[in-house]
Amino acid sequence: MAGDVVKGRFPRRRMVQIVTANVLRYVFGGAARNWIRNIGSTTPALGSMTLLLLMSGLVGLAGFALYNLEQVETAQASLIHIYLRDDASSEDIDSLWNRLSSDPRVAAVHFTTKADALARAERIPGLPQLAQASESNPFPASFDVQVKTIDDAAAIDAMARDQTAVDLTYPTSYDRGAYQRIQDVLVGLAIAGFVFLGLLGFVAVTVTVNSVRAAIHARHDEVAIMQLVGAPRWMVRGPFVVEGAITGGLAGLVAGLVTFGLAATAVTATSGSFNQFAPGVTVTVAALAAAMVFATGLFLGSGSSLISLRRHLQ
Amino acid sequence: MLPPILELTSVTRAYGSRLALDDVDLALQPGELTLLVGPSGAGKTTLLKLINREIRPTSGQVWVDGIPAHSLKASRVAELRRRVGVVFQDFKLLPRLTALENVAFALHVTDLHVSEEEARERSLDALEAVGLGERGRAFPHQLSGGQQQRVAVARAVVAGPSLLIADEPTGNLDQETAWEMMDLFVDIAAWGTAVLIATHNVEIVTRLQRRVVTLVDGRLVRDQPAGQTGRMAWLATS
Repeated sequence: MAGDVVKGRFPRRRMVQIVTANVLRYVFGGAARNWIRNIGSTTPALGSMTLLLLMSGLVGLAGFALYNLEQVETAQASLIHIYLRDDASSEDIDSLWNRLSSDPRVAAVHFTTKADALARAERIPGLPQLAQASESNPFPASFDVQVKTIDDAAAIDAMARDQTAVDLTYPTSYDRGAYQRIQDVLVGLAIAGFVFLGLLGFVAVTVTVNSVRAAIHARHDEVAIMQLVGAPRWMVRGPFVVEGAITGGLAGLVAGLVTFGLAATAVTATSGSFNQFAPGVTVTVAALAAAMVFATGLFLGSGSSLISLRRHLQ
Repeated sequence: MLPPILELTSVTRAYGSRLALDDVDLALQPGELTLLVGPSGAGKTTLLKLINREIRPTSGQVWVDGIPAHSLKASRVAELRRRVGVVFQDFKLLPRLTALENVAFALHVTDLHVSEEEARERSLDALEAVGLGERGRAFPHQLSGGQQQRVAVARAVVAGPSLLIADEPTGNLDQETAWEMMDLFVDIAAWGTAVLIATHNVEIVTRLQRRVVTLVDGRLVRDQPAGQTGRMAWLATS
């Protein structure tokens, strides 16, 4: 009769367990304990970093919306409506069509009849009343010309104005300088956003660096003994980096949740109209922004710790 | 003859224009207990710091258990320090840890392969070896100066270093406790660890009759083998 089979543990597996347990206990567990112990000196860093990340999240979403708005504006600016006289002859209209179609700067030409123009106008808030107030259809037929690059829009506009088929009072939808003004405003907003976030980031990193410096000072004896007995460098520094990551991660979590909450509330509460105000911003985009805010918090927290360690830990 | 655990060759260390050590040669064998004496400012602490790679020599070579401390990169210093146990005059124990935890701390932070149970057992063994097996749960403030220094010695030897260096380990102790400490160092040397003790204690130096190395103004002026140290009365006035 066979006896009991005793299975010994695979030594390498046991060793991996021990090393993993020790790393978790001393680097992560120790960091968590020290973080709680130093909560007083960490609170300012936590607060400023939460504020920074919240502003980053909101500014990021606003920037994303502005970018989409700029794309919409670019698409609209490169689409010129050339309005035709009501009494224009077919030959003149055909001549203009041929000229536009054969122009290498034009990507596409579409003819909109007066009826189509009326139907389109009725979908724009405020215009149906205008159409109803008039006995006849006040909207002209047009050629909708999509230029290949926005830089060619002015030349196409200039060429179209000379044509006999074109309405003399209001020849095209092209507004010289309007697109550029929008671009200037967007660039100005982007620069202001980056400068603001840069300043806030500098403050948050400085405060976090100082809080880690305080933590290093508070554990000066422990660090000195670790170094003297031969603790590896990563083991001395690791808990401080994890402490910074806890601060940044917590700030990122709070800021991410608030960012997501505000954006999701705005999207769901205002339904379709929010998309006109901030195109592209959806609940999914808000969740992605929140995740990025959290990741940025982790990165900023641990990065600030590394800066502090380089400067204050010999 | 075994290769030396510690070997200093033509070691010079300057602080600005002042020479703290000047062309020092020294070798320690495994199991050898050596007393490092000299007046204040003679360079004793500088010598110990060079061995533990807290500082680098201006010139010369420092070999510790086969490791070139003089040219060691910062990333490899920990490797050297695991082979050198250090005892300080002010003990340097962590006040929030018990005696057992203070000793285990040295194991935990230097070797991730040591499990919690193994660290506890080895720390308890080390505490028993220094006569404090029953005081493992006591915090440093609950221990006398001599007992705290014993805990510091247990922490220094728990990882089994090749070399133990001590900077004025009896400086804060009364004479009787100081003798107990010296007996402990003699035992550690008998286990095979080379021991280098910087001291001012004349009575210990003259009565112990171990090898004595004398530094004066950074120069190694005397190297007296065990049993030939004489009274060294000049130390009393230093």
